[in-house]
Amino acid sequence: MAKDMTRIIGRTLGRKVNLERVNVTVGPLSGISPESLRFCFTEIARMEGFGEPELVITTTEARMVCLECGHEYSASDFYQCCPVCGSISRRILSGRELTVDSVEIEDSAE
Amino acid sequence: MYDNDADRRIDISEPVMSRNDRFAAENRKFLTDRNIYTLNLISSPGAGKTTVLEVMARFFGPGMAVIEGDVQTRRDAERIERAGCRAWQIETGGACHLDAQAVGNALEHMEMEDGTVRLLAIENVGNLICPSGYFLGEDMRIGLLSIPEGDDKVLKYPSLFSTVDVLLINKMDLVPHLDFDVDRVVEECRSLNPDVTVFTVSARTGEGMEEFCGFVESNIS
Repeated sequence: MAKDMTRIIGRTLGRKVNLERVNVTVGPLSGISPESLRFCFTEIARMEGFGEPELVITTTEARMVCLECGHEYSASDFYQCCPVCGSISRRILSGRELTVDSVEIEDSAE
Repeated sequence: MYDNDADRRIDISEPVMSRNDRFAAENRKFLTDRNIYTLNLISSPGAGKTTVLEVMARFFGPGMAVIEGDVQTRRDAERIERAGCRAWQIETGGACHLDAQAVGNALEHMEMEDGTVRLLAIENVGNLICPSGYFLGEDMRIGLLSIPEGDDKVLKYPSLFSTVDVLLINKMDLVPHLDFDVDRVVEECRSLNPDVTVFTVSARTGEGMEEFCGFVESNIS
């Protein structure tokens, strides 16, 4: 995944350049461990010629809809029950995403 | 040099899995164009994926083909071939899951143009975590859980069990010898995933396998 991230960045920029910051969004149901991602990405970004950017991870909330009472609610993991009726029976609407939002190029890079 | 921060910041807004998803969409098109229905079988190592596929190979015969994903060796492909189906082995060489690009490469080599194959089963690398994030282009995702693994696994690996179409509980012949609450597993899986279809089988004794194979067959157009 870290390699896919550098591939996406390289394709968008069209060149290798030292980056100061890489901003990503991680859904709580994506299975991504922020610490592991940071560790891998830092190493791969350096190897791929993007310098040593800081990886800024924004964690979103998942959205669920309760199948018992129909209430739509936010959750930070797979296990949160419906806050209205307490049921665990629900459909997951979102929360699995991992998105490269933006990059910031190092000031002295050019 | 940049005049201000805005010039240095470049928006990307691209999902990291988009590359895999593109390859998966290509696989899906390749397979549907050939009227081939595709399964992605995911479990931990040793849950019985290959044994289930051996029974399926005897049920479907040459109408089924199998892609085997393993870190190393052609052992599983050889087992499937002995059971009567063509098999293609992907050795990932260390990777703990199959991705859509690797499956696409296999599809190009499998010579499925003659129309005999109507079911493709992809046996993923034994792992309950990483394979769940990689869509391969399958029509049906099957999570296989076996009795000796214990009845607490569904909520421990929600990223898989919330995405499966079928939960296949294998090694039912061992239930009398172990403390495994089948109802608990089914209930927990349904809480994550209300649409899941459940089968309880023993690939070793054959118990439940005819019903399961019949269900797969009923989905093949």
